[in-house]
Amino acid sequence: MDFRWDLVISSVPLLLQGAWLTIKLTTIAVFFGIILGTLAALLRLTKGPFRYLASIYVDFMRGTPLLVQIFIIYYGIPSITGGQISPSIVDIWPFIAAVIALSINSGAYVAEIVRAGIQAVEKGQSEAALSLGLTPAETMRHIILPQAFRHIVPPLGNEFIALLKDSSLVSAIALEELVRKGQIIVGRTFRPFEVYFVVAILYLIMTVTISRIVSILERRLRVGE
Amino acid sequence: MAIIEVNNLHKKFNQLHVLKGITTRIEQNEVVVVIGPSGSGKSTFLRCLNFLEIPTSGEIIFEGSVINPNENLNLIRREMGMVFQRFNLFPHMKVIDNITLAPKLVRNIQPDIAVEQGLNLLEKVNLSDKAESFPEQLSGGQQQRVAIARALAMRPKVMLFDEPTSALDPEMIGEVLDVMKSLANEGMTMIVVTHEMGFAREVSDRVIFMDDGLLIEENTPDELFNNPQHPRTQAFLSKIL
Ligand SMILES: Nc1ncnc2c1ncn2[C@@H]1O[C@H](COP(=O)(O)OP(=O)(O)OP(=O)(O)O)[C@@H](O)[C@H]1O
Ligand SMILES: [Mg+2]
Repeated sequence: MDFRWDLVISSVPLLLQGAWLTIKLTTIAVFFGIILGTLAALLRLTKGPFRYLASIYVDFMRGTPLLVQIFIIYYGIPSITGGQISPSIVDIWPFIAAVIALSINSGAYVAEIVRAGIQAVEKGQSEAALSLGLTPAETMRHIILPQAFRHIVPPLGNEFIALLKDSSLVSAIALEELVRKGQIIVGRTFRPFEVYFVVAILYLIMTVTISRIVSILERRLRVGE
Repeated sequence: MAIIEVNNLHKKFNQLHVLKGITTRIEQNEVVVVIGPSGSGKSTFLRCLNFLEIPTSGEIIFEGSVINPNENLNLIRREMGMVFQRFNLFPHMKVIDNITLAPKLVRNIQPDIAVEQGLNLLEKVNLSDKAESFPEQLSGGQQQRVAIARALAMRPKVMLFDEPTSALDPEMIGEVLDVMKSLANEGMTMIVVTHEMGFAREVSDRVIFMDDGLLIEENTPDELFNNPQHPRTQAFLSKIL
């Protein structure tokens, strides 16, 4: 058995570049995912017709593979806009497509998390706020959402971790995130074991770090409960 | 002029007919106690008054004008304070912030003035030292007194109490009833659902007995307790007194 430690070490710098892109992609996608997801969750709680739109969005994103969604955005959007994308963004199109796909996918999961968080707040809370003369919107903003936030943080951390791992799927559109960088090194060295081993360790470091941050945040939020 | 008039109020939850035509008037400065068996509709009646439940039919007239459920109900609700069985303090806010939130947000009171008024109210309910505490750090009786102060901070014209002492340990009931008594003595118009018959006798001007969604009988506490007219009232009182 030979395990090429030298390869492990020499592949690290390039893989770290990939990991950095993975972190950027995931963070941006979770950021937009939280905005989209909160909007979708609030829409689902309204009485008007938009509630159905939000439901369709959530069901579609959760009911279809992320890889297909990535392809729809990456290949699909240029094809329906005349077969080409503007030269000014052609270089960064894979990145943009990946961010769009991951954001709208993540938004659907966040919507469910936010909805569950809102529903976990006791009904008496909104009744007390309404009885004081707050409008439904003020009640949501000052009473329900701050309390829902505490229920939302732990599953949101899980969503961040899941998305970080799922972001490896964008290697399929040649975006050089962590997995793609690994594939490139393997193509040169023909040593998949060592390379993917380092890839796995880098993912592990990132996910464990996120878990830690989330539990610290959770503990902070519990103060004054 | 009555401050609240209730005309033929009905409330259904789907098939369940909970209020079957309630008609009564609440006068300015009056203290009305509502009693009746569990499930008779006392809470629903109270919650219809500030439209936490939308009546199925009938009218609520507040200060001479009919409340329309399609208008801004928050304009009506701010005039009626409500105190709940389970306190419902906002757990993520300090006591003082619980009290000042609505005055600042709804009445546009300046923050420093809202705090000053809030501290006065806390003094009134004997909790001056708890302004900076969070609700979970307080006993049930203390939480309920904060809840009363929170409702009073909006300077409501009526206070609605839904079994304010039912969730309390016995030794804490007195401190909450004392606050309610002094409020009554100051002339606050109050509608109180309670099982505290001592409070009803001592403080109320009128007692309403409800059963099965109907207002069966209403009278002064003396008359209602000592000389109940309706057989259902007699049966209920014989069970609890
Ligand atoms: N939101 C609701 N949906 C369906 N049914 C309800 C709802 N609120 C109350 N009810 C029903 O209406 C009836 C009257 O309830 P209500 O709470 O007004 O009674 P109550 O006199 O306050 O009783 P208690 O003394 O137990 O508090 C009960 O049968 C109750 O189950
Ligand atoms: Mg009740």
